[in-house]
Amino acid sequence: MTFAERMLRIDRRIIFLIIGVCTLVPLLFPMGLAIKTSPEVTSVYDYIEHMPEGSVFLLSLDFDPASKPELYPQAVALLHHAFNRNLRVIGMTLWLPGTGMANEVITHVAQERGKVNGKDYVFLGWSPGGGSVIINMGQSIGTAFPTDYYNQPTASLPVLAGIQSLRDVQYVVSLAAGTTGIETWYVFGKDKYKFELGGGCTGVIAPGLYPLLRSGQINGLIGGLRGAAEYEVLLGRKGRAVAGMDAQSVTHLVIIVLVILCNVFYFMLRRSRQGGGQALPSGS
Amino acid sequence: MNFFRRQLPLLITFVTGVLFALQYYVPHPASEAMLTSVTKWLQIIGGFALVLGVTSLFHLHAVKIRRKEPGWGYSFVLYAGIIGTIVVGLWHNGKETVDNVTTSFGWIYNFMMVPLQGTMFAILAFFIASAAYRSFRARSPEAAVLLIAAIIVMMGRVPLGEYLIPLSGDVTQWILNVLNASVRRAILIGISLGAIALSLKIIFGVERAYLGGGKE
Repeated sequence: MTFAERMLRIDRRIIFLIIGVCTLVPLLFPMGLAIKTSPEVTSVYDYIEHMPEGSVFLLSLDFDPASKPELYPQAVALLHHAFNRNLRVIGMTLWLPGTGMANEVITHVAQERGKVNGKDYVFLGWSPGGGSVIINMGQSIGTAFPTDYYNQPTASLPVLAGIQSLRDVQYVVSLAAGTTGIETWYVFGKDKYKFELGGGCTGVIAPGLYPLLRSGQINGLIGGLRGAAEYEVLLGRKGRAVAGMDAQSVTHLVIIVLVILCNVFYFMLRRSRQGGGQALPSGS
Repeated sequence: MNFFRRQLPLLITFVTGVLFALQYYVPHPASEAMLTSVTKWLQIIGGFALVLGVTSLFHLHAVKIRRKEPGWGYSFVLYAGIIGTIVVGLWHNGKETVDNVTTSFGWIYNFMMVPLQGTMFAILAFFIASAAYRSFRARSPEAAVLLIAAIIVMMGRVPLGEYLIPLSGDVTQWILNVLNASVRRAILIGISLGAIALSLKIIFGVERAYLGGGKE
């Protein structure tokens, strides 16, 4: 067996170990590299920054705990920004497994900012139906959610005073890990009820949402941990996302090096096989 | 009987399909009230779908246990997990916290479900690295283009990549905003046209697979 063959058949546990170490070391010894902000994240930030005090901001946390590392920091940053601007915040989720986490992040940030449940913010919880929940909220928020997560009647909450439907909401941001998520909010919500819509998503689904961004169907997009880190930089409040970017940087670089090495070995093997008149076995 | 099995569902589909396609363009209060009622029905039906899903899951795993199929022990774990969580959830009225104190339902959620789901997703990073090493090879010119684009985007999406190759950030933005967006848009248009065609076929009774039993 040649060197190239041996390297191509390397035990995958060695790769796992390299990735593990490369994730851990930057978390323990941060490099603190500068993070450049992109126009798509800045658009979301600017929109919230220019909303008048007391405007209604709806944050839909459409993800489950699997996507927590990427979307939780986005939620924290957006909530801090909204509470900074003294906006009225409505929280909700279209993903049942994410309900507890959504409630936790809103309650945690609100308590940190000294905001009062029912007066400054409300968490509506989850309701079945996905797109039909959005249509129902477009018709009447009170009908879609007669009570909030804590069983308080939504009609009596000061934070929802004067808010009948989605038409009274100025800005909606959906933090989504898939469908139901940003597209659903556009198709069933923004298109008919005419609020402005922004999005936040996991890195893996971000490229699929660029057509919506380019056509103005969403005004901005926070993509993955990088997007969350950019938002934290814009907010001037570095948190988990900025801390995680060093680990992501090194891991990306290691994967690039692994891919280059694998191709070098592949071409070495191909050349030696062609020189010896042998065909490459399938899969190598 | 054929009327109730075939003609009536087709009639309901046709009437509601046409009605709600037109409803979008009619902002009259009566039209809006009808939409409100129907979306409320949809939400209620969505709730029942959850019950149906859990019942179906229970049935599937009961069969596995009865037949002692490979891995049937895991079905017991599933039963214990679901029944345990439902009982504890009902006991605490579905609340993870009461007066800022974590309930046992909240404990299950925070210390079992959240870490388990997080772990499943985190493991992907290791498998992606291993799979990239084993199979991401420039076997053809198309694969080489994909490989180069992937490397540029991976560099441009992290600060270290932008630090090492300052241009990678701008090139990444161009790839995402121009190449990626245009291809995705073409795919989206194709999917949307397909969805419209399928909707029309269902509304006009051409596509009847949803009735079950195939073609008459």
